[in-house]
Amino acid sequence: MSTLRVVTAGIAALSVCAIAASAPAQDIKPQMGGELIYAQAGEQFSLFPGRNLDSGAQDVWLYACENLVEMKEDGSVAPWLAKSWTVSQDRKKYVFQLEQGVKFHDGTPFNAEAVAFVYNEAKAKKFIYSSILEGFDNAKAESEHEVSMTFTSPFAALIPNLAYRPLCIFSPTAYKTKGEQWMATNIVGTGPFIQKEFVKGEHIRFVKNPDYWQKGKPYLDAVKIVNVPDPAVRAALLEKGEIDRTVRLNDFDLARLEKNANVKIRVVPSTRQYYVALNHTVPALAHVNVRKAFNYAMDKAGIVKSVFADRGAVLAKAPTLSPGVYGYTEMTKPGEDTIFPFNLERAKMLMKNAGYEDRNKDGIVEDVKGNKLSLSLFTRRGGTQGDFQVAQLVQTFLKDIGVEVRIQVLESAAFGDAIKLGPTDAKYDMALLSWGIPTADPDEPMMLFTLTQAWKPVGSNRMFYSSEEVDRLSMLAHSEVDDAKRKDYVKQWMGELLRDAPVVYLPILALNLGSRSYVRGDRILSVDNYPAPFAWLDKAEMTKQGVRR
Amino acid sequence: MIRLIIGRLLFMVPAALGIITFLFALFHLIPGDPAIMLAGDNAPRSVVEAIREAYGFDQPLHVQYGRYMAKVLQGDLGISNYSRDPVVNSVIPRIINTAQLAFLSMLFAMAVSLTLGCVSAMYWNRPLDKIVTVVSLLGICTPVFVTGLLAIYFFSIYLGWLPISGMSSWRHFVLPVITLGAFQAAVLTRMVRSCMVDALGKDYITTARAKGAPEVLVVFKHALRNALLPIVTLFGLGLGHTLGGSVVTETIFNWPGLGRLMVNSILTRDLPITQGAIFFFAMIFILVNMLVDLVYAWVDPRIRYD
Repeated sequence: MSTLRVVTAGIAALSVCAIAASAPAQDIKPQMGGELIYAQAGEQFSLFPGRNLDSGAQDVWLYACENLVEMKEDGSVAPWLAKSWTVSQDRKKYVFQLEQGVKFHDGTPFNAEAVAFVYNEAKAKKFIYSSILEGFDNAKAESEHEVSMTFTSPFAALIPNLAYRPLCIFSPTAYKTKGEQWMATNIVGTGPFIQKEFVKGEHIRFVKNPDYWQKGKPYLDAVKIVNVPDPAVRAALLEKGEIDRTVRLNDFDLARLEKNANVKIRVVPSTRQYYVALNHTVPALAHVNVRKAFNYAMDKAGIVKSVFADRGAVLAKAPTLSPGVYGYTEMTKPGEDTIFPFNLERAKMLMKNAGYEDRNKDGIVEDVKGNKLSLSLFTRRGGTQGDFQVAQLVQTFLKDIGVEVRIQVLESAAFGDAIKLGPTDAKYDMALLSWGIPTADPDEPMMLFTLTQAWKPVGSNRMFYSSEEVDRLSMLAHSEVDDAKRKDYVKQWMGELLRDAPVVYLPILALNLGSRSYVRGDRILSVDNYPAPFAWLDKAEMTKQGVRR
Repeated sequence: MIRLIIGRLLFMVPAALGIITFLFALFHLIPGDPAIMLAGDNAPRSVVEAIREAYGFDQPLHVQYGRYMAKVLQGDLGISNYSRDPVVNSVIPRIINTAQLAFLSMLFAMAVSLTLGCVSAMYWNRPLDKIVTVVSLLGICTPVFVTGLLAIYFFSIYLGWLPISGMSSWRHFVLPVITLGAFQAAVLTRMVRSCMVDALGKDYITTARAKGAPEVLVVFKHALRNALLPIVTLFGLGLGHTLGGSVVTETIFNWPGLGRLMVNSILTRDLPITQGAIFFFAMIFILVNMLVDLVYAWVDPRIRYD
């Protein structure tokens, strides 16, 4: 009998241990204290949100400067400094109810006046992000904690656009008294951390805000963001424990890093899709069958594997938009893993239908008049991850269908100059580019990328593409009040882009975040943000890994 | 000698103005719009035009040049297009950081090259000489980034002896100094060896040996001093090279130096920073060359600058 009792007690004890061990990580209570050291790839040129859209700077601001709303991992938007809002029937007036009891780091109150000032100033001084507040007329403090924003025309995308980090609310008092130049090196907001030290080109350090409006937060004592340009060095620092987290690791290093038990790697698809802009003023590229042929000629899975080690990019299942963007719908057919799946025979057939055949058997197709199809492809080298290698593969794939491609590699600023020109001046036949959607809302690509009115140099329609139907759908989606109808317009817009193939659609870039396994509560968003203001460090795990700081 | 120094110092003023003017012209001839670099590729024209207006890029070139030169003559090198920081605040700390790295690297290179070069010359054509020759050729052929990354993986990751990045202690200097100095050490070793082989073959060396002077004295007092002139020249050139060419080392070791600043400013068309950085770099280069000339006169009493 006593033996039975011992065995039963042992089984019970083991069961309790098993249940405790299987408890999800989020049930573990955050630990207070410690300093998070985070290595970024680039240098923050300016800390002032109005003059800088750099994603690295955005990652710095989010510790100190908060937005009215916040983007979640799934692309949805949640209240932040604005706890709720109402929208007029015509979508021309938004009224936000603000959190109360919030202060800026300089002690001045966060209120409706402060919010109104920031957005009115953005319009008056034409901050770099002002174009995403399309039609913004004015912001007004309706009461101490109620602010309205009015637009000259209905604007459906305001709420997700307000989550875009540069639109964070900085202290108007600091801005007015110290000036924009001072704010280029000092970020003063309402965030959980206060800027303590900024050594340009080296690091920026934040300390805990003792008066933060969310009680009990943040958990960390300090955050230090260091600049480490080389990805191999960032990986080495992470492995050695000299840093706690980092981003933009080399895709070919990820498999090796994942084998390290002390390191965890997270990879998510971004909202940035590679594409080849086809200049529709070039006669061959004005032909939809030629454009579709180019799309079918691309071995996109091959690009993902050879350039991005099967980790740094994913296949696109829709044109221009990626999962997480508002209104995104998969547009692949059953059994297909990407739009325009690789099919050389179909590509050749489409070229033939368009009148392009290799008439003189020299390996290059000619039109009916005997002119060979030879096109230029402008690209950068090192501007976006893998750009030059992708350009080389595009050249190779198009050669397989008899198109001669001359790659022209331009230095970054020269490339920017070359692709800013209008239809009569542009020298490129094709240009390798990428389109990122930092707000996870399709309004920006719809209004700037495919609209006829957005032909360069006015907007960003570098294809000089024009479609009445696409224009109609873009304008409808821009101002549609009803959520279901707006999503339907976006879906129809995507359908038109698939039918017209104005560009060559290439894979979507993936983002990676590497961190030591003792870092908890940090996040990675598809819009190239890596928030960790409410992260915490598991001290026991840190000690176990020999990291003593 | 005094006239040399004064002349060189006075030369710095027209040299500086000439460099600034040249860079201004060059930046406006090469493609690249700083307003687009600031706004981003996909910014609409209205935003780009607003930036152009806010930063004064829309002014006629002669107005922009005139305003800038007026400030320069008052000691104001302008503010960065990106950070809005005064150029001097951005450039001076970086110069100091790079100067530390460059100077220590050249000291390391001199110490290594003088030792190995002299030993190699003393044992000319024997196994030790051949080993030193192979090692120095390897040093010349190995790119800086390979040396740097190998050093990191071996000394920092594998052995855990030295940190990877930062500047807060002497240990942080070791790997960057060795990485940057390795190439210069290899080049200087070859030069020291050649010069010493030549010097050791001279008649005065035979005389010194015949008089019974110890070999150490023969090599390091008589031969080395006479072999120093071309080595001093190379040292000056090497210092200039490491000052301006340290961008790879700075990138690998996250060293906030002048090289990275210059490359970033050129790529982003931040003209004020580029002009400021190159202005200071040119001044330092002129000073270094002046010092090299002065060292010549000290090393070789036959040289006078009257």
